[in-house]
Amino acid sequence: MIDVAFDKVSKRYRIRQSQDAGLKDFWAVREVSFQVGRGETFGLIGHNGAGKSTLLKLLSRITSPTAGEIRLHGRIAALIEVGSGFHPELSGRDNIYLSGSILGMKRREIAQKFDRIVDFSGVSEFIDTPVKWYSSGMYVRLGFAIAAHLDADILLVDEVLAVGDAQFQIQCHERLTELRRAGTTMLFISHDLVSIEKLCDRVGLMQRGELIASGTPHDVIEDYERLSARSHVAAMADVTPHLPGAAAAAQIEAVTFHGVDGGEILGTRTGAPLIARVHYDVTAPVDDAIVEVFYYSKDGSVLHCQHSTALAGGELMLAPGRGAIEFSSPAMGLQPGTYSIGATIRQHNHPGTIDWHYGRTLLYVEPGKSVRGYFFTPHDWRLVEKHAHAGDRSHA
Amino acid sequence: MAARAQTATVIRPAESAWSNLAGYLRELGEYRDLLRTLSLHRISVRYRQTVLGVFWAVLQPLLMMLIFVGVFSYLARIPSEGSPYALFAYTALLPWTYFSTAVTNATGSLVNHTQLITKVYFPREILPLTYVIASLFDFVLGLVALLGLMIWYHVPVTAAILYLVPVVAILTGWILAVALLCSAAQVRWRDIGVAMPLMVQVVMFASPVIYPLGLVPASWRPLYLLNPIAGIVNSFRDVLLRGVHPDTVPLLYAAIVTACTLPLAYAVFKRAEATMADVV
Repeated sequence: MIDVAFDKVSKRYRIRQSQDAGLKDFWAVREVSFQVGRGETFGLIGHNGAGKSTLLKLLSRITSPTAGEIRLHGRIAALIEVGSGFHPELSGRDNIYLSGSILGMKRREIAQKFDRIVDFSGVSEFIDTPVKWYSSGMYVRLGFAIAAHLDADILLVDEVLAVGDAQFQIQCHERLTELRRAGTTMLFISHDLVSIEKLCDRVGLMQRGELIASGTPHDVIEDYERLSARSHVAAMADVTPHLPGAAAAAQIEAVTFHGVDGGEILGTRTGAPLIARVHYDVTAPVDDAIVEVFYYSKDGSVLHCQHSTALAGGELMLAPGRGAIEFSSPAMGLQPGTYSIGATIRQHNHPGTIDWHYGRTLLYVEPGKSVRGYFFTPHDWRLVEKHAHAGDRSHA
Repeated sequence: MAARAQTATVIRPAESAWSNLAGYLRELGEYRDLLRTLSLHRISVRYRQTVLGVFWAVLQPLLMMLIFVGVFSYLARIPSEGSPYALFAYTALLPWTYFSTAVTNATGSLVNHTQLITKVYFPREILPLTYVIASLFDFVLGLVALLGLMIWYHVPVTAAILYLVPVVAILTGWILAVALLCSAAQVRWRDIGVAMPLMVQVVMFASPVIYPLGLVPASWRPLYLLNPIAGIVNSFRDVLLRGVHPDTVPLLYAAIVTACTLPLAYAVFKRAEATMADVV
């Protein structure tokens, strides 16, 4: 049974780019076709502006398509931007009724679910307080609690899980899992690939209004990361100038990654061996050099790990000329994701850096040896205790 | 989970909305709980944090009436067909106030709820409708005050007052038509909202609010009566002040114009609804 079927659906917006320019056509969605079966959870991923939210807007009838046809079976509800329709002057209680009916619930239905909604939101003490006095966390929790109790056959979820504290996010995930088990068909948009992978049966990848791939979460997320790594590198190379260090004695020309066979690679898998090469061009000899590679999160905010020549292997002397330092790791522990690569050349006991390389190289890591936690660490195992039970011995 | 609804929905590009008016009404019926909740909400929020509260509903036409008595009766000496001018003015101000507040508030209803329109789907006509319903509530309070005034002026309340039911129905139909058209137009052209105070004034002067219908030359009548408010205001006076059945011709004009405009307005509104979220 197919619950949602898109058949060559397109949506055109007419936008005015400047005061004197005329209207320009912008195709937010172009000839998109896909089907979602009953009880299936279908995820949509893609960059901002790729058309994911427009798809959900078409599906929830907020706006109508320019061409094509969408077929639906069952009652549809959207979990879009919680707290829509709240009135600040009204109490939490009145807002549950107001917002609930805006989302399509009947009064009787809301009355029946009222206690569960309040419980879920965790704001029961303040349920008769006007919501204008609520903290933003309470506001969001109440909004989600209402939306999460909609009785829908098809549920649209747009990026709502990014709100609230960790505890509340777990609660939201649990509720979605519960609905999924109850047989609700779901369409799910998120930038959080981990959630997508955890919750979805199938995933579609949107780019510039087109559905360019669909399949298992693992495969499509891989496609997406390959795609974003490419565009990210291109964007960075365009905008980030090379940052020269304190002295121009040495320059880092590039950082490359290689597989065990020596071939250059853009990405690897968690737990796989990895070789990183820092290519340099030295003009004046550098004594006591230290070369390091840094693995940052994609946005550069978190440093995940580091390779350094300072840890072992003795003194490093860089003679004039071009060359490369190779780091090899028998099992790279980074979890799946995309990493921004940094590299430096500096001198032992000298402040400052001779050259700093950042923002031009990305490494994407695909799921490989999947473990839970922040990183994979190489490990073996063996059976060490082999004592039979006392009772067993009598049998022997 | 409840038994799965067997409804199949097909979403297609917007076409002419004419053919599907019955379907739209059915859908509106499915959303009656929202209509009710939002209308009650309008009424309860309207006068919140005001000292006089719901008395404002009565006070507005009453104050207008006092001004009219001063200006048009004492100064301009406009005839009032044998009734006290205060009553004469109030019976007209009551339907006109209903019309002007409902239409003015409904016009802004869609653009004032951009947040909702771009996030959630529901039949959009519910927004202007709730403002019309809230104004109807005020109108009923004003009507109670009118009965008080009639007793004060010793004007007998006759069975003819029952004619108000069809008259108010026609008035409400006309208000709905104007509200639907203006609110949908306001989404695209904000000029509508800016021009609205002027437009309701024009309607007032083009209706027998200040003066009796008898002052309008007979040759102008057919054109004059194309404004349904004219026939409706006249009917209010017939029914309440003279205790007779409403003059047929003016009311018939109002009924026909309304009956033609309302379905058309609804179809236009629904056609505009398809892309409302894109332009609002």
